[in-house]
Amino acid sequence: MFNPEKFIEKTISSLQKEIKAKALIAFSGGVDSTVCATLANKAIGKQLIAVHVNTGYMRKNESEQVKKMMEDLSLNYRFVDASKEYYLALKGVEDPENKRKIIGEKFIRIFENVAREEKIEYLVQGTIAPDWIESGGGLRDTIKSHHNVGGLPQDMELRLVEPLRDLYKDEVRKVARSLRLQVSDRQPFPGPGLAIRIIGEATPERTELVREACDIVEKEIERASDQKIIERPWQYFAVLIPIRTVGVHGDKRAYGNTIAIRAVHSVDAMTCHYSMIPHEVIDVISMKITNTLKEKVNRIVYDVTNKPPGTVEWE
Amino acid sequence: MARIYVVDNGGQWTHREWRILRDLEVETNIVPNITLFKDLQEEGVQGLVLSGGAPRIGLDSSLGNCAEYLEKAHFPILGICAGHQFMARHFGGMVKPSKLPEFGQVELTICVEDEPLFKEVLKRSIVWESHNDEVTVLPRNFIKLAESDNCTIQAMRHNHKLFYGLQFHPEVEHTQFGEKIFKNFIQLCEE
Repeated sequence: MFNPEKFIEKTISSLQKEIKAKALIAFSGGVDSTVCATLANKAIGKQLIAVHVNTGYMRKNESEQVKKMMEDLSLNYRFVDASKEYYLALKGVEDPENKRKIIGEKFIRIFENVAREEKIEYLVQGTIAPDWIESGGGLRDTIKSHHNVGGLPQDMELRLVEPLRDLYKDEVRKVARSLRLQVSDRQPFPGPGLAIRIIGEATPERTELVREACDIVEKEIERASDQKIIERPWQYFAVLIPIRTVGVHGDKRAYGNTIAIRAVHSVDAMTCHYSMIPHEVIDVISMKITNTLKEKVNRIVYDVTNKPPGTVEWE
Repeated sequence: MARIYVVDNGGQWTHREWRILRDLEVETNIVPNITLFKDLQEEGVQGLVLSGGAPRIGLDSSLGNCAEYLEKAHFPILGICAGHQFMARHFGGMVKPSKLPEFGQVELTICVEDEPLFKEVLKRSIVWESHNDEVTVLPRNFIKLAESDNCTIQAMRHNHKLFYGLQFHPEVEHTQFGEKIFKNFIQLCEE
């Protein structure tokens, strides 16, 4: 079986050998990048600089929390607010692969800027197995270009270091627990963020909608799992489908967007079963979303697709 | 410790096959399907898993050097999905697009008794699938081991060699007896 203690020991020593100058760790605050940052920090200490980018597609208050995490972990860090740049770069972009590639390239360009200022030569990333598997290449078909693999530009100047490449999320969580990291059980959140939870153009207005809806889904699912009504799913969120349907609000016609709720159970993200959330929980989520976003959303649907044939995220 | 390699035909779950073998304490590696048979022999390989691969590869293209392995190997080979379809085609069977492709959860029914690969696997169990094509005619010298409602050849075995083909995916977490099937395969490789 996978042995996290051995993995930690082996990885720290190989990072010490591999990284011969200053390095930058791409820090989202999720379990993969936090584990990676902790290992790299143990290996090279102050030679490591963590960079968190607020893409504008983060969840509610997320970037602020991440800032605090970087402080708690005593990382040497930089915080970059690039939301305006990202919104501009994704203006008019509807194709999910284009979105992912634009976001991936932008991350690298931001990292390269920091790298030039700080004379950094290495980029450490928390890439895990499903990221490169699904990004394809060679014989393997591209299912989706993960921003940290398929979204990397060809002319990247930094040297990549990816110590978690052979691990799946359940194994990364074991390493996180062994390192006593609080994020060990945090649900996965994709690098491209809310941009791929908006079907079609990811405008700032649509982002606000899906951000609010995701927040409601997270809070209600976590409440239900804290109360032992459900087992906490692997991942749970909202997707904005900008297809309008007719509704009725206080005797008046409504014509608003649709929100899909998605919750799945999985161990490694390579196969997933949709979560059988009881109707009483879905009911509360549905009402909260339509009441909170009443001007914009008047229909809620629940996604009952497994992977395969679906994937976890819609894009 | 057995040495069993995974031949990568470009499947989404190739690395899962490697992981499950590693978790079961096997000496394992993922190797490209253009690896020469003599190189595998030199490394002392005792068994091979032929992974699945990108759509239709089992139907109309060669699968690297998989044909060479099937010709020369004296050790057990487990073909999964496209690997299974290729094995069937190689020995004279037929592979065609499925009338009803299967994705996700399916009920598997084992139709033979005392099959070592399915030791301690229930006659009916849940397996996960992801295929557009399937084996429609068994090769001569092969026997059918299992079926599902929409796919009549879910598993097959060579008459006298330890060559197995599985249409379903024993390597994914959601397949009920997946790990058990791998354990049984490892045992066959060790004998």
